[in-house]
Amino acid sequence: MLEVSQLAHGFGRQPALWEIPYLQWQGHTLVHLRGDNGSGKTTLLRLLAGLETPRQGTIRWTWAEAMPASPPCPGRVLYLHQQPYLFDTSVAGNLRYVARWNGWRGTTARDRVAAMLERCGLAAHAQQRARSLSGGERMRLALARAWLLSPRVLLLDEPTASLDRQAIADVSTLISSLHEAGCAIVLSAHQSSVLTERCDEYWCLEQRCLQVNAFKQEVAV
Amino acid sequence: MHELMNTAREALHLLLSFDPALWEIIGVSFRVSLTAILVALPPALLIALLLARVAFPGRWFAISLVNTFMAVPTVVVGLVLFMLLSRSGPLGELRLLFTQRAMIIGQILLAMPVLTAMLHSTLQSIDQRAWETARQLGAGWWQSLWVLIREARFGVIAAVLAAFGRIIAEVGSAVMIGGNIEHFTRTITTAIALETLKGEFAQGLALGLVLLLLALVLNVLLGVMRGRGHQTVSI
Repeated sequence: MLEVSQLAHGFGRQPALWEIPYLQWQGHTLVHLRGDNGSGKTTLLRLLAGLETPRQGTIRWTWAEAMPASPPCPGRVLYLHQQPYLFDTSVAGNLRYVARWNGWRGTTARDRVAAMLERCGLAAHAQQRARSLSGGERMRLALARAWLLSPRVLLLDEPTASLDRQAIADVSTLISSLHEAGCAIVLSAHQSSVLTERCDEYWCLEQRCLQVNAFKQEVAV
Repeated sequence: MHELMNTAREALHLLLSFDPALWEIIGVSFRVSLTAILVALPPALLIALLLARVAFPGRWFAISLVNTFMAVPTVVVGLVLFMLLSRSGPLGELRLLFTQRAMIIGQILLAMPVLTAMLHSTLQSIDQRAWETARQLGAGWWQSLWVLIREARFGVIAAVLAAFGRIIAEVGSAVMIGGNIEHFTRTITTAIALETLKGEFAQGLALGLVLLLLALVLNVLLGVMRGRGHQTVSI
């Protein structure tokens, strides 16, 4: 469960981008975080992932059950950049990195990597250079890498931005599958799409505040 | 012209007949320069990483200092080391002057700024997302650092090649603190200088050809590695 209180953040001496007095989220749902460009969606997601320290306030993640100790210790809350960073190696190599870092060796690592490549429709590209993939395939590889860790929460920054219709459909299907597999997801997007229509909750950054489910009706129409 | 052709023919003969005196000089050069690079690389990497990734007061001054040291003439390094290592100098008791160790120290001092400046530029150009991604996906601090270096591998190799090229071809510090002693501290460059002064051009030319060949091999190797980096790869 996520609990946020008195959260405010900004850059340098500029006023805070937004202020969130209180937010509680059970951490099971698929959430669409909406806001205009520059409203601070990325900053909020990065703060929730612990990649930045808030100027003010607290962010607390609590889990109902005890998480397994390392190794392997799956990442609980993962943030995916809008343009995911792919390591300069093969598609399979990117997944093997994750396997190695989390202590999987030999056949265990090989089987998990192979299964994930198959699941994400990347098996045919296993030996291809990751950076030669198309935009949609890149996002699928980034999702596959994250999925290997079975994260509890995935924070996706504009995952379908600048993708073509087919790629959006493929990525949306994969994100839905991840959600069905038990991963809670917060995805930012400033426009509605096939993916955002599948969301259970809506958060909106507007007028320097976070409004929960404020535009649910609007999206449903 | 005829004399030049004869000298070139003689130089090739010396090389291809594996003349022991010639290959001994080549061996000393490589041993000294390779050792210097191997010793200089880890600290240069750490300093470069610090300059590229950690914000601290005086960082830009430190970067300027490193860039300035790149331009220090080799004879100045030789002079300073000579004063330190000579018998009356503060480190005279170590009796390092005119030894291969002294030459290695000199070459480390010459290689460090080149390595540090080039590695700094390479590491600075690496996307900040690389570190974040690795850390989020479960990599420890050292594993993330290794990934960062691996992502910058072509830049790292280029830095090593450039530094190696600079120190194996330098003559100033090698002759001042090595002393150009036969069978001990005579290197390719000091031997070329000596043989030329003696009028023995063949051996000098043969050694010069080795340096040229070395430069060619290093550049081809870098090209091959860059080429491989653009094809299908696996780790």
